[in-house]
Amino acid sequence: MVLALFVALISFPPAWYPVALKVQLSLWFGASEYRALPISVPGGQIDSEVFCPPDLLNWRDSQVIEGVAISESLPCIADNPFMVASFVKGTNNISHQTLMKSGLTPDAIEKGEDLDGDGDPDVIHIRLELVELNGASGESDQPVTQYEIAPGIKPGLWVFAPKLAGMARENFESKMARSSLRVPSPVIRIEAGDQVKITLENTHYMPHTLHLHGSDHGFVDADGKGNDGVPLTSELPVLPGNARTYELNPRKAGTMFYHCHVQPHVHVTMGLQGMFIVEENRPNNWLQTMNIGAGLVRVPSVAVKEDYTQEYDLHYTDLDKQLSERIQDSNDPRLVTRSMHREYDVTDATADYFLLNGKSFPYTFRESIVVVEEDENIKLRVLNGGTKGIALHTHGHKFTLTHQDGVPLPENAQVVRDVLWLATAQRADLALSTINDGLHSYGSGIWLFHDHQNRGITTDGIGPGGNISAIVYKNYLSEAGWPKTQGVSFKPFFTEQYYQKQIPVWQSYAPDLFSDVARDWLLFTRLIILSLSIGIFLALLVSKIKYREKIP
Amino acid sequence: MKKSVERLIVAALLSVNVSLCMAEMDHQQAHAMNMNMNMSMNSDGIVMNSNHHELPWGCDSISEDYEFSVRAGRDYAKDNPGMVFGMNQHEYNVAPCSRITVTFFNEDEVRHQWMVHGLPNYLYPTGMFHLEAMAGKSVTGTFIVPGDHKTYLVHCDMAQHMEKGMKGQLKVGRGSGDLWNIAKVSGTYRRADYLPDFTFTIMSFLTVVMFLTVLYIISRIAKVK
Repeated sequence: MVLALFVALISFPPAWYPVALKVQLSLWFGASEYRALPISVPGGQIDSEVFCPPDLLNWRDSQVIEGVAISESLPCIADNPFMVASFVKGTNNISHQTLMKSGLTPDAIEKGEDLDGDGDPDVIHIRLELVELNGASGESDQPVTQYEIAPGIKPGLWVFAPKLAGMARENFESKMARSSLRVPSPVIRIEAGDQVKITLENTHYMPHTLHLHGSDHGFVDADGKGNDGVPLTSELPVLPGNARTYELNPRKAGTMFYHCHVQPHVHVTMGLQGMFIVEENRPNNWLQTMNIGAGLVRVPSVAVKEDYTQEYDLHYTDLDKQLSERIQDSNDPRLVTRSMHREYDVTDATADYFLLNGKSFPYTFRESIVVVEEDENIKLRVLNGGTKGIALHTHGHKFTLTHQDGVPLPENAQVVRDVLWLATAQRADLALSTINDGLHSYGSGIWLFHDHQNRGITTDGIGPGGNISAIVYKNYLSEAGWPKTQGVSFKPFFTEQYYQKQIPVWQSYAPDLFSDVARDWLLFTRLIILSLSIGIFLALLVSKIKYREKIP
Repeated sequence: MKKSVERLIVAALLSVNVSLCMAEMDHQQAHAMNMNMNMSMNSDGIVMNSNHHELPWGCDSISEDYEFSVRAGRDYAKDNPGMVFGMNQHEYNVAPCSRITVTFFNEDEVRHQWMVHGLPNYLYPTGMFHLEAMAGKSVTGTFIVPGDHKTYLVHCDMAQHMEKGMKGQLKVGRGSGDLWNIAKVSGTYRRADYLPDFTFTIMSFLTVVMFLTVLYIISRIAKVK
């Protein structure tokens, strides 16, 4: 027993002695001998994704398809130009070959009569489907129809989608969704005065509606049927396998919003939201009715071209992973419905992922950068569809606020700012000037733009992530479309491990200083001996007291 | 992600003669795979890789002709709890080397598909026979199955439609077993979702109770002896 107590005392680490004793001991014996702290663990080989996938089919080039002039798109990943041309002409007005290459069905976007005789179609019929991304599989834990917002991150999502022919996946061998099935729901563009029908074909397994937030539309349609998409007041939702046609004939132009209005506190956050843009009426105004994945508008409207050199749609959203994982937890719609609409409590929710045009950094750098030259004037249409406000900030530039919620601001209210607060569902039209005058632009470079709230630039708390993107001047852009950054390596960011918190943040350029640290096995051994000897000591002590008489 | 890089390289090698026949030619890495589809599309829908006469290797003649009239939609999930979409028939039994004609009626107001996967690539590009019917429309297509006994997946490849009921199987000859999760044919993986509350608490409690009981009984027996 004495021996056990002795071992326990010896193995007790001096670091835990009372301060007075520590001082006294060091006065008597001095410091203990030098033993180096545990070494830094060398970082392993980083196996990162290709930053900028090659553009094998030359989708980035400017080209003319079906007589539609499609501007070049310089970021790495560009929209399918055949799809763009089909959106402009209408899927009913193009060759069979273009339709095939677009991937759309013949009735996806039908364009008809020119009502005002100004050279463009005014009777438009748009069809939308509903798609679940990263949903449950009946057979494995892996989600199906996969979509990554950042390396390895596949939250469950719902989106409105263009009506596509064929499979939802790239091909039978792949688990990935085809490229046009993605977040955000497509930007929809129509012209003021158009007679528009939008048919919602509910291909999803839950009820949904279409609500045209901010756009001029009747509460009921011509037949007196609900047209507002609000189950509380205007109509029953569209059940799975059913369809409903909404109608509008908007008198005012502006940047608006569309979303599902069924259990909106859940359905809007899940991704059932998109930008809805009513362009001003102009002659020969052939509009790109949809902009897949938002971003650069490759065929801008006549009115936009009058004042601007380029136009970008910027759709900000956030996601709560505790919500989105609920569609992956069960394959039974009854259980998923209970989990999402009764068990999930939005008042306790936190946002974990922050997206710009459906992606988080570093994927934003592949497709959602704003590519500019000096002396341009660029129109940015911004929607905050997230549950939190965003403090949109541009590096190197001050932009001019021209419209709010689709309403033009008077000249003297068009403020120049480098931070703009956008509450949930608010829209802003911004003019981004690249005139190097020390106010609007500070000259050429790679200038970030992002939500300046700290959470917005992270992906589940890991930075850099979230909605970080950049204004990139052409002389800083590689031929392939990748920004010629001169800072840290992007390699760690293009790995799943980085966002799983496995790679030290500064390891790529200061590995000796900030790597992970080896464990102190010597101290560990000492503590094991300590616990064993205390155990033995206590056992002997108890037995001594209990069997005092029997043990000699 | 290494794999996708490899696929990119393969795609780059093949891109010289990639012919854009099928839908959209998607995410650039997928392009090499979707070549030379034999596809017809109109306002009723799509028939892809229809084959009336070309015999698969190992078949001397067409053994039999089958005609299936398949109806699909939400109504066909009614008596299948937990499912939203369905078909009037989820299992199809045919003889090796037979010719199958499917007429696919879509009773819903949205698109649906009837696709077979795993057919020989030399006859059916990407191994697929595909019917797609628009809302309220029907399409008809024909294909010839090979001579080996095999079970093929039949499904609708719209997002979540297979998971929510539109899954079937085509058994050629004796087939090669049943696929999971086929309505009224084979079992479902995720049964644990349906357990009552506190099941696992009750299980742990009962495990401890039984452990102690048996221990007690054994100690009694030992004492008696």
